[in-house]
Amino acid sequence: MSVTEAAFEANEAQRGQDSVTRVEGRTQWQLTWRRLRSDRVAMISLAVIILMVILAIIAPVFASITGHPPNTAYPIQGENEVGNPIGPGVNGFLLGTDSTGRDVFVRILYGARISLFVGVVSTAIAVVLGVVIGLIAGYFGGIVDTVLARFTDSVLAFPYVILAIALAVVFGPSLTIIMFMVTFFSWAGIARIVRGQTLSIKEKEYIEAARSLGAGPFRIMFLDILPNLIAPVLVLGTLYIPNAIVFEATLSFLGLGVQPPTASWGNMLADASNFYQVAWWYLLFPALFLLITTLAFNLLGDGIRDAMDPRTERLIAARRMRKRRARARKQAAAAEVAADTVNG
Amino acid sequence: MAPLMAQPTANEDDVLVRVENAVKYFPVKAGGFIKHTVGQVHAVDDVSLVIERGKTLGLVGETGSGKSTLARCVAGLIPVTSGQVFINGTDITKLSRGAMRPLRREVQMIFQDPYSSLNPRRRVGAIIGDPFAIHKTATGAERKRKVQELMERVGLNPEHYNRFPAEFSGGQRQRIGVARALALRPKLIICDEPVSALDVSIQAQVLNLLSDLQQEYGLSYLFIAHDLEVVRHVSDKVAVMYLGRIGEAAPAEELYDRPRHPYTVALLSAAPAADPDTAAARQRIILTGDVPSPIDPPAGCRFHPRCPKAQEICAKVEPQLVRDQSAAQPGDDGQQAADAGQTDASPMGGDVPGGWAHVTACHFPVVPGENLATAGAVAGAGKGDVA
Repeated sequence: MSVTEAAFEANEAQRGQDSVTRVEGRTQWQLTWRRLRSDRVAMISLAVIILMVILAIIAPVFASITGHPPNTAYPIQGENEVGNPIGPGVNGFLLGTDSTGRDVFVRILYGARISLFVGVVSTAIAVVLGVVIGLIAGYFGGIVDTVLARFTDSVLAFPYVILAIALAVVFGPSLTIIMFMVTFFSWAGIARIVRGQTLSIKEKEYIEAARSLGAGPFRIMFLDILPNLIAPVLVLGTLYIPNAIVFEATLSFLGLGVQPPTASWGNMLADASNFYQVAWWYLLFPALFLLITTLAFNLLGDGIRDAMDPRTERLIAARRMRKRRARARKQAAAAEVAADTVNG
Repeated sequence: MAPLMAQPTANEDDVLVRVENAVKYFPVKAGGFIKHTVGQVHAVDDVSLVIERGKTLGLVGETGSGKSTLARCVAGLIPVTSGQVFINGTDITKLSRGAMRPLRREVQMIFQDPYSSLNPRRRVGAIIGDPFAIHKTATGAERKRKVQELMERVGLNPEHYNRFPAEFSGGQRQRIGVARALALRPKLIICDEPVSALDVSIQAQVLNLLSDLQQEYGLSYLFIAHDLEVVRHVSDKVAVMYLGRIGEAAPAEELYDRPRHPYTVALLSAAPAADPDTAAARQRIILTGDVPSPIDPPAGCRFHPRCPKAQEICAKVEPQLVRDQSAAQPGDDGQQAADAGQTDASPMGGDVPGGWAHVTACHFPVVPGENLATAGAVAGAGKGDVA
């Protein structure tokens, strides 16, 4: 008895301590981070992204370790007797060589620099643009909203591949043009979401309270509305990064993006498509890196969305509850059947 | 209604807020691509009232009667369609946002829903400190000190400065709203159903806080509620709204003791009584039908389609807010006028709701002792003829 009592007291004390620490104001971000940390898929994705970023940053280190600069061809060591690429692991080429005898692994890492740079920077610019335009359209409404919303819709309706090809032809393919196009086609989706959210948030009483205090429209937009938009915008931004990466790869694949000899996943794939019969590694590894990177960003975005949306948790709980009820029903039915057989 | 006294008099000083013939229509738009106005919601229709310094004007009425719209017009949050709103003698209806700003300090608002009136993503310190930041009256450490003083004043723990609204209960949240409204030391606080979202036990705490603050700072309140007992408890004067108009207005006790408008009588009879004996003894007046659409309000008296005393004239002639002509209580008016030291010529007198007079907009006011519950059956036939 005394033992259990002691255990009980210890337990209570423990719980008391827990509740004391739990009362310490936990911010939205701390809560999100806790939920995200328990999401294994999201954490693996985050690790993959961090690894990819590190690899991209230290790409020159690999170039010097292997002694293979990204744009240097090795016609002797890097090609076999008939001039075809050599496979992974041969002659110190970790993932083999490409059509001109360059190191595929080093080039993939250099390609990652471009992909991640384009993905993150263009998306960041697009997010800023989309948030500002969406906020202004949603908050001011009226003619401002009509003009901005129609403009947003027309951007979304644009056949972007055709525009991209046209721009690349007119201005000549360059990284600036790629980033301009990625930004141009990304902000509209964000602006639309932000506008919708702003429309609903601006009707809240705390916005009215801010107005009654004399706050100006920009103070309200950026101090009162924007903090409520950070969750959806962050999720959206994370999900737009892989789109941007794929878009860059597409343009480069079509020869309208990053130009050879500069390495990019897209132009490597384009070149590899001529050689896949003799060099599967040349096609496989850049494609694999592209796939893993975009998948990681997408899964991380989903994870962040789930972590930020407390409803997800409730959905999971509801599902659990349904299962439990179904099991209870089944047991009750079984018991009834058993009782019937006994009585019968 | 008798034309209002526009010229300032000696008693003008007692008037903090004067609303003259305020009208607020909301256009009803239709059409998918090209929008056009197909009608007007008559949210507030020709309402005049005064609020005395240091006093509370209660505004009651059912949902959709225009109470909140009127309050927002007084706060300058939505522009009036026509009419004037004077605060401290300045007409705010024609001011630009910049010119309005100093006046914002005079009028603050407490909102109904303590959950949606506080930004969930901002810390309490930032929320209460907002007025200081917007009006640039205090910065840094001074702002923090002032915010913590306010938190203490409204009964919050100043150490909770860095918490989020979600970490507080409904009553505590409403205290945060009170602290925010109090920050700029306003003269008028508009309370838009400040306690209707709270537990009854918490309601009393918040109401007591409001009345303490009123005494301490000499605040005036425009107190909106649909809980009649709450309004009676806090108000000096009460105005009853129905479909965008004031139907009856009087000093609080007078209105509750001697209601004259049939709608007020019905409203009072619908209020729950705590004492079961009282509850059993009272006669409930069940109004039939719904509130008519404010897009197309009834002609004549707006209450006539539901009024048990309605007659032909009610559907045709709109009744004006007038004092009791039958002079059922001859002593009262004179007595109150003498108490207030006011005359008809002063803006506090006359027939303005919020003044001392008991005014009713009804052709056939209810006289004390009249039984409306039975009157309904008699007037029922007449009502059909009218319609």
